[in-house]
Amino acid sequence: MAKSNLFVNGSEGDKAIVLGNEAIARGALEAGIGYASMYPGTPASEIIAVLDKNKKCIENLYTEFSLNEHISLHGAIGASWSGIRSLCAMKNVGLNVASEPAQFLAYTGVKAGLVLAIGSDPGAPSSSNEQDDRWYSLHTYMPIMEPSNIQEAKDFTKDAFDVSEEFSFGIVLMAPSRLCHNAGVLRFGDIRDRKNIKGNFKKDPENYLNLFSLAVKNHAKYLERNELLKKYLIESKFNKIINEGQSKIGFISSGVIYAHLMEAFDILGVYDHKILKLGFSFPISNELIKRFFEGLEKVVVVEEAEGFLEFQIKKIAYETGFKGNIYGKEFFSKTGEITLDDVIFGVSRFLEKPLPASFDFASKKYKELSDKLPQRSGTFCIGCPHRATFYSILKAVGFSNTEEKERDVVIAGDIGCYTLGLLPPYNAMDFLTCMNAGLSIGQAISNFDKNKKVIALVGDSTFYHSGIPVLLNAVQNGADILYIILDNSWTAMTGHQKTPSTQKDIDGKPSANVLNLKDLVKSLGVSYVKSLDPNSVKRFSAQIKSALKEPGVKVLIAKRECILQEIRRNKSLFKNDAKVAETGESLYEIQKSRCVKCSECFVELACPAIILKKDEDNGGDYYYIDPASCVKCGVCYEICPNSAIRKVEFDLKSEFKLKKGLPEAIV
Amino acid sequence: MKKFNIAIVGLGGQGIITMGTVMKNAALNSDLQDVSGSERRGGAQREGYVETFVKYIFYENAAEMNNPRKNMHSPMIESGGANALISLEPLETLRGIKYLNKNSIVIFNKTPYIPISVRMGKTKYPEISFIVSELQKVTKHIYYYDIDAISLEEFNSLTQKNIIALGILFAKADIPIERSAVESVLAEGKGAENNLKAFALGLNL
Ligand code: SF4
Ligand code: SF4
Repeated sequence: MAKSNLFVNGSEGDKAIVLGNEAIARGALEAGIGYASMYPGTPASEIIAVLDKNKKCIENLYTEFSLNEHISLHGAIGASWSGIRSLCAMKNVGLNVASEPAQFLAYTGVKAGLVLAIGSDPGAPSSSNEQDDRWYSLHTYMPIMEPSNIQEAKDFTKDAFDVSEEFSFGIVLMAPSRLCHNAGVLRFGDIRDRKNIKGNFKKDPENYLNLFSLAVKNHAKYLERNELLKKYLIESKFNKIINEGQSKIGFISSGVIYAHLMEAFDILGVYDHKILKLGFSFPISNELIKRFFEGLEKVVVVEEAEGFLEFQIKKIAYETGFKGNIYGKEFFSKTGEITLDDVIFGVSRFLEKPLPASFDFASKKYKELSDKLPQRSGTFCIGCPHRATFYSILKAVGFSNTEEKERDVVIAGDIGCYTLGLLPPYNAMDFLTCMNAGLSIGQAISNFDKNKKVIALVGDSTFYHSGIPVLLNAVQNGADILYIILDNSWTAMTGHQKTPSTQKDIDGKPSANVLNLKDLVKSLGVSYVKSLDPNSVKRFSAQIKSALKEPGVKVLIAKRECILQEIRRNKSLFKNDAKVAETGESLYEIQKSRCVKCSECFVELACPAIILKKDEDNGGDYYYIDPASCVKCGVCYEICPNSAIRKVEFDLKSEFKLKKGLPEAIV
Repeated sequence: MKKFNIAIVGLGGQGIITMGTVMKNAALNSDLQDVSGSERRGGAQREGYVETFVKYIFYENAAEMNNPRKNMHSPMIESGGANALISLEPLETLRGIKYLNKNSIVIFNKTPYIPISVRMGKTKYPEISFIVSELQKVTKHIYYYDIDAISLEEFNSLTQKNIIALGILFAKADIPIERSAVESVLAEGKGAENNLKAFALGLNL
């Protein structure tokens, strides 16, 4: 947001452009939270990041980037029981890790309001699956609120704390990536007085002790509370029936899909059908649905994923004796993100209404073209140490793109920036599921397929998240595996939150409790452990080769800080030193005359700063290091088998002037 | 109710998200107005496809603004629904073609960033002439520049290219918000001096 002070100081009457995630955080702030935590995960990260960033100017606010979601939700529960309103955030798959505390939360109930904000990721642009966490509530009984836009993201979050306290449930606030990363107008409300946020834990054995017959009693209590909540939801402001026509057709929707639906009606020119907007998608009151069904013959549920609403609505229809037909997944896909286009298509098919001409033309044109266009995938940043790590691994196991050589080493993937190593040109992962699956699945494979060596990868943040018991297990059970920890000191993919490995903050301040990863690994019983710089690719590659020959659990720590953080720190430390920024010291350059275009740097390493240029002399093309993007990591310099890359003293300014006269990059 | 939709596409690291944020912040003055639009952001990685939408909504009156059938808007732009498309990468302009209709204004940067598949020799990058002729099948209002080169020449860096592109947008399309509003947003932000210069530069292209 442009005026970040408004996030802290804004009040009734103010407005600003904010991100969906920031709106959720602001709602929690208006509700007077004193605790906020998460394990970072896209698309939810900014929810806690914005609070953490501003906490110096917010009285009585504790924030925490916890080591995993299980710990994070437990922390929120402890805060709530101490009388502190608490916000916990996570991405969709985070709830798998936090499912245990979530399961117990209905049994014990809350004291001060507790909201669990979940960033779901339909289409999985930044996740390893697209699970719909709403299904969890069928057994955790956590009520679910689904805001449809930025304003509701804030308002619902604020209200969620009251509902949480009134019915003693932790409330799930569900926001898909489309809302988390939607930026738009937010009208602020007032913030609750923060002076008196103080914890006071009162014993409550009736609720907090949860075993034997006490657990059975608590089970009955939450089922009762659930019925009370359902009653409250018949008339609440969160669920709305829109009806002024005579139509016998009804639409039910929630969340962002509801916003798509309303716009789709506008685009198709449809204004007369009955609509139910569910602000609470769990629990759903039979009475509310019965009222909505009145006078209807056909009802269609418009939602994403596998039909969580449809499942409940059909059950209620059966229980209330509705005679009409209910549709849903016949018209809207169960997989992938449901876009505005998908809703337009679905509604037009359902109502048998023609598509607008320009919409029809554009979507056909795109379909016809899209198959022909080269796909584009993300890759490591320029100078990223992971690129050097993957290059070293592939060289050590004899893989080559240019010569089409296969590798027979099994490589276990895991979750983090380095996951991108599974994409071309590296193709350096054989399986990828959830956090820390790599080593444990890899361990079993190495047990049963003795002909293949197995390398398991993990990042520092992922290792600390839940990797320690996995490594201990491998040691205890005598596994034969090479474990490479790619330690770049940050949870980089989600926006650079600190990990126990972070040595220095971005402003150069040393971290308080830096962990010695090598010592930790040793103390877990690994005798073969070495820490080295992945950018020294020859040394690193040789080390991998020799580690693969050893028996037992071997750990290599590829230790080098995320390049983005390094650059940011240097910029902030040297921002007044124009000389460093503008002239530079040395640069890397490919000597056209010596380069034989073996493609070692261009395809095998594939640093995006190395580009192809048209040679105006002979019409051919040549490889060229773009000085405007090269960060001088020196890896290409080390790997060129023909010594065609040299380090040169360089005046950047004159190069840029020169560039005007140089041929354009060709394709 | 009037709507004005802008789709901005390009690659991670090109400043696409910032462009969206600037355009949205420039539209905070009027009460009878709504601004929305989602961003596709993955992790921090570079070179992936990024798009952001800026949707301006102007209500006729307060009743319309409070009408639940009128006041809820998707964060996305539908196929054929963009009044303007800005693209900072030529190939991605073609992917953005789905947002175009016959009246849409297209502004694109012709500096290509070749995808890995092209680097590996598996696919071919389309010629600029092909890109233009495909776009022309939808709309006649197409403007393209080597914005990377312009930014390098003027600023010794690529960081200004997104704001130059915004300047071009204002020069070529009839945007329903004031230029001065954009200028005051830029004046308040980081790197104000260069950004204002870049915006003015784009306006005169
Ligand atoms: S590795 Fe050396 S010889 Fe091979 S393409 Fe690169 S610069 Fe040319
Ligand atoms: S030195 Fe070579 S590998 Fe490193 S950023 Fe520059 S071009 Fe890329």
